[in-house]
Amino acid sequence: MKQKSWISIVFSFASQCRGKIALSVLCAVISVAAGLIPYWSVYQIITFFIDSSPGMAEVWKWCGIGLGAYAVRFLLYGISTSLSHISAYTILENIRLTLAQRLMKAPLGTVIGESVGKLKSILVDRVETIELPLAHMIPECISNLLLPAAVFLYLVYIDWRMALAMLATLPFVLIAFAVMMKDFNQLYADYMESNNDVNGVIVEYVEGIEVIKAFNQSSSSYEKFARAVESFKGYTLKWYQNSWKVMNFVSAVLPSTFLGTLPIGMYLYWNGELTPQDLAMCLILSLGIVGPLMNFTTYINETKAIEYAVHDVEKLLHVEELPDTGTPVKVRSMDIQLQDVSFSYDKEGGQQVLSHINLNIPKGRFTALVGPSGGGKSTIARLIARFWDVDNGKITIGGVDIRDMPLSQLADIVSFVTQDNFLFNCSMKENIRLGNPNASDEEVYAAAKAACCDEFIQKLDDGYDTMAGDAGNRLSGGEKQRISIARLILKNAPIVILDEATAFADQENEEKIHQSIAALTRGKTLLVIAHRLSTIKNADQIIVLQNGQVENIGTHQQLLDSSFLYRNLWEAHIGAQKWSVGSGKGGN
Amino acid sequence: MLRIVNRLIQWTGNYKRRIYIGFIYAFIHSIFTALPVVLAAKGLSAVLDDRDGVRTLEGQDIWIMLGAMILAVLGRYLFSYLRAVTQESVGYEATADERIRLGDILKRVSLGFFSENNLGELSAAATTDLSFLEMYAMNMVNTVVNGYITVIVLILFLVFYSPLAGGIALIGVLLSALFLHLLEARSRQNAPVHQKAQDNMVESTIEYLRGMQVVKAFKQEGVSLAGIRKAYSASKRINIKIEMEYMPFNCLHLFSLKAASIAIAAVAALLTCNGSMELSTMLMMDMFSFMIFGSVETMNNAAHVLEVIDATLDKLDGMKHADIIDKDGKDIPLHNTNIEFRDVTFSYNKTPVLQNISFSIPQGGSTTAIVGPSGSGKTTICNLIARFYDVDNGEITVGGENVRNLTCDSLLGNISMVFQKVYLFHDTIENNIRFGNPGATQAEVIEAAKKARCHDFIMALPDGYRTVIGEGGSTLSGGEKQRISIARAILKNAGIVILDEATASIDPENEHLIQQALSELTIGKTVIVIAHRLATIEHADQILVIDKGQIVQKGTHQELVGQEGLYRRFITIRERAEGWSIATSH
Repeated sequence: MKQKSWISIVFSFASQCRGKIALSVLCAVISVAAGLIPYWSVYQIITFFIDSSPGMAEVWKWCGIGLGAYAVRFLLYGISTSLSHISAYTILENIRLTLAQRLMKAPLGTVIGESVGKLKSILVDRVETIELPLAHMIPECISNLLLPAAVFLYLVYIDWRMALAMLATLPFVLIAFAVMMKDFNQLYADYMESNNDVNGVIVEYVEGIEVIKAFNQSSSSYEKFARAVESFKGYTLKWYQNSWKVMNFVSAVLPSTFLGTLPIGMYLYWNGELTPQDLAMCLILSLGIVGPLMNFTTYINETKAIEYAVHDVEKLLHVEELPDTGTPVKVRSMDIQLQDVSFSYDKEGGQQVLSHINLNIPKGRFTALVGPSGGGKSTIARLIARFWDVDNGKITIGGVDIRDMPLSQLADIVSFVTQDNFLFNCSMKENIRLGNPNASDEEVYAAAKAACCDEFIQKLDDGYDTMAGDAGNRLSGGEKQRISIARLILKNAPIVILDEATAFADQENEEKIHQSIAALTRGKTLLVIAHRLSTIKNADQIIVLQNGQVENIGTHQQLLDSSFLYRNLWEAHIGAQKWSVGSGKGGN
Repeated sequence: MLRIVNRLIQWTGNYKRRIYIGFIYAFIHSIFTALPVVLAAKGLSAVLDDRDGVRTLEGQDIWIMLGAMILAVLGRYLFSYLRAVTQESVGYEATADERIRLGDILKRVSLGFFSENNLGELSAAATTDLSFLEMYAMNMVNTVVNGYITVIVLILFLVFYSPLAGGIALIGVLLSALFLHLLEARSRQNAPVHQKAQDNMVESTIEYLRGMQVVKAFKQEGVSLAGIRKAYSASKRINIKIEMEYMPFNCLHLFSLKAASIAIAAVAALLTCNGSMELSTMLMMDMFSFMIFGSVETMNNAAHVLEVIDATLDKLDGMKHADIIDKDGKDIPLHNTNIEFRDVTFSYNKTPVLQNISFSIPQGGSTTAIVGPSGSGKTTICNLIARFYDVDNGEITVGGENVRNLTCDSLLGNISMVFQKVYLFHDTIENNIRFGNPGATQAEVIEAAKKARCHDFIMALPDGYRTVIGEGGSTLSGGEKQRISIARAILKNAGIVILDEATASIDPENEHLIQQALSELTIGKTVIVIAHRLATIEHADQILVIDKGQIVQKGTHQELVGQEGLYRRFITIRERAEGWSIATSH
């Protein structure tokens, strides 16, 4: 796949504020041009002195003009940078919002598959990196490029040989750059990798500090950590030692425009082809382009970081959306059917998590999914909630393909119970009411009672009116989870999906969660991903999954007879319940 | 500005000398920077002399000029390269040292330090902040110090020809320094405002991402987007406002330098008019006036970067001053693994967690179960035994020795901990297990893996023990990771085992294997377990029932179950929970 160059992507971002940026560039160009006038002024003064008897009046006049030109230069420079910053930050805001919206429309599975930290770093930090090219590089580089070009043309007008002389150092610089750039991409990629490596080890060190302390090793520092730090240092030093040769060569040679203009200018004068005044002018002008040229080089070091950031952002901007139809459809029943469903997380030849699954989950019944880990239990549940779309086959609810109903309608039909104790930043009451915006206060309280929340909410300072933000730190994970269950009770969706592994993370209050789950699931089409088999032994239908395929279906009793796998799982479960820590000592 | 630069130089510690040597190179470098201008002026005056018939220009003069110019450029290159090599590299070396130092400190502070400074911030300090320092520290020293060195050398050149012009140049530099100073003050003032907007943006973004599933389930996309929109727009507003505030100072800083340039040209013209300056000197002055301030002009960017560096150094200093927990500890070999709490009181952030706790655990082959509601202080008791924190009052002895008298190494050498949240390193399975005992042979590692019921699944992996954990394709299940963490503890073979029983449900076959692994680990050991499972609690030799930071009941299951109290209620609830099943729906 051909990647668009980062520069063209930056310009496509910039087009959002086209007017302001164009104005900013214009101001920058005029500003740089104004900055040339003082050179002209000094040239005038010098000419006076060379040509004739000088008068101070002329000197003052030209100094005044030069000073005025500088005033204009910096005034316009101020305007230019102000405009470019306003545009840049506006564009950053837009990029961030577009990214956020895009993620909202992406398949939920894709988003929760990425780490929050990584996505955050793209939305906040990577996007921030684009400020530099937008606010500085576009106006400054354009003006800094135009100016030497103008000066060059002017020198051509005086004497083309002087113009070339001014550029005499350029080939050396370009060769040096070419030499450096030859391996630059590879070296930079290595550097980034090495940098990520050392940072990864550090993050791991901090996060695993409990383990590191618990397994304290007498060496002065955790060896892997020290090794990573040392090798990164070695790597960067080696790299820089290489690039310093070139960078310093460039920064020494590039501004030395006199290297060409002085000897050649003198030679031309010697040949009688250049007047002393013109020589002075050429020397002064070749001094004048040094600043802009050097400005140019300061950005070179940054370009790689920008390139990486721009590509990260661009990639996320084009993350695939989950297709959504606009028109609600009539769903007559809550039977769920999987017809020939296949799915893999990695679309390019990755391993299939589910292959050609056919299932019937009847309405109003309790269905359980069991089987060894990696069998595909959670994937089925998530596909029904449309975290992703299936690769093959289809999933229907009441005969309607879930891809043919709007996502909002599916969200109304299906409640997915997660461990996620996410509270919105509003009062407890409103947090629960989100389940059904039309519910009365009484209905909210009833749902809270059913989910065993009433007691602890009443104890909060403002009871049901306590803001989630204020209460957040005082609520336990289990309490927060019960609030989200209350929300689901109020939502009263006909289909409830429950992942046991995550739903019962808080064992301390397990009983209360059990009560609230019982209230939530009464009379619903219930699908449970089960680990503790005693939880689901009463299920109407137990589906045993293994390696992405249905191994067997039946009730608990039926499966004990017919499924070897299920019987093993059940026996392991019963054995596990009777086991205790320390039982090894008795030798049992 | 100079204060922060000085702070940076001090930060580099032993490398300081190289920075100073770098300054000398910078000084020589600036002489070579001035040389071309002097040469140009000489060349121009030679031309004028030739025109006025004072002295004829020879072809040889031009060759000399070319040679001199090449020498100047080469000198410039040589010394800027030398400076880079001696000075720039210091940043990387000093940062590497700092990273290692941080690693050592982090290992030896109390765990409380990690909760006070949240983990994210700590990792950020050790990664992003240090990377920033690494990239920019020496760059800034160069920009500021060497920038001023250059301008001073050039001013001295001017003074040599005309003290007045030199004086004007100095005034220009001082004026610009004044504006830079104001800019810096603004920058410092704005830093917290900017940081707050930035934090707010990060927070909102994380909340937005984390809440996405719930948001979609309840169709709150609009509300959620509105929240994030507010944060992004606030960030934009503040950034623009800050830029606007900097802009005038930026412009004034540059303008004062340029005005000085014009003034130098005017003075030179005036003096030449008076006849007190040679025309050739004037030409040189004019050229100087254009390039003399080049190194100062770019300093406005340094002002901001230096502010960030200052804040970073503050953060690092804060970490260095964290209390090292075992600084008075000694390496004392323990002869037994009896554990005793005597009247222990501990509070965390001024909230009392444990109050007057006393109990003793006899060594060898006994299991002590700690039970109680969440937040009652169970985990704290375990963390205090391992001395992740220090007690406020009372004392804890292990093997008869107050844990305060021991180094972390000598205490923790006797303790194996199995945490509920398994943490494995991004490394091979073998190395993860060997972490329990770095000196172990491969045979011992495999032996431990067998005992922890890991061997079979490890051998089934394509790379076996060499499999790197967490890399594509080798994602292990939760139960498998748990068993690796148990193998690690088995390999350590410490006399005390502290175990936080897992609460999350794991599939039954895994659970069974984990239990076998735990049985291997705990044979003959002094076991302390934060217990959730009925069977574990019932079989414990001693049960400590903790509620609100106090021991409310103590005894065996038989003793306690006969008493009215928290324990009996607890057991009833557990029994019901373990036997629970979802009722059929009709």
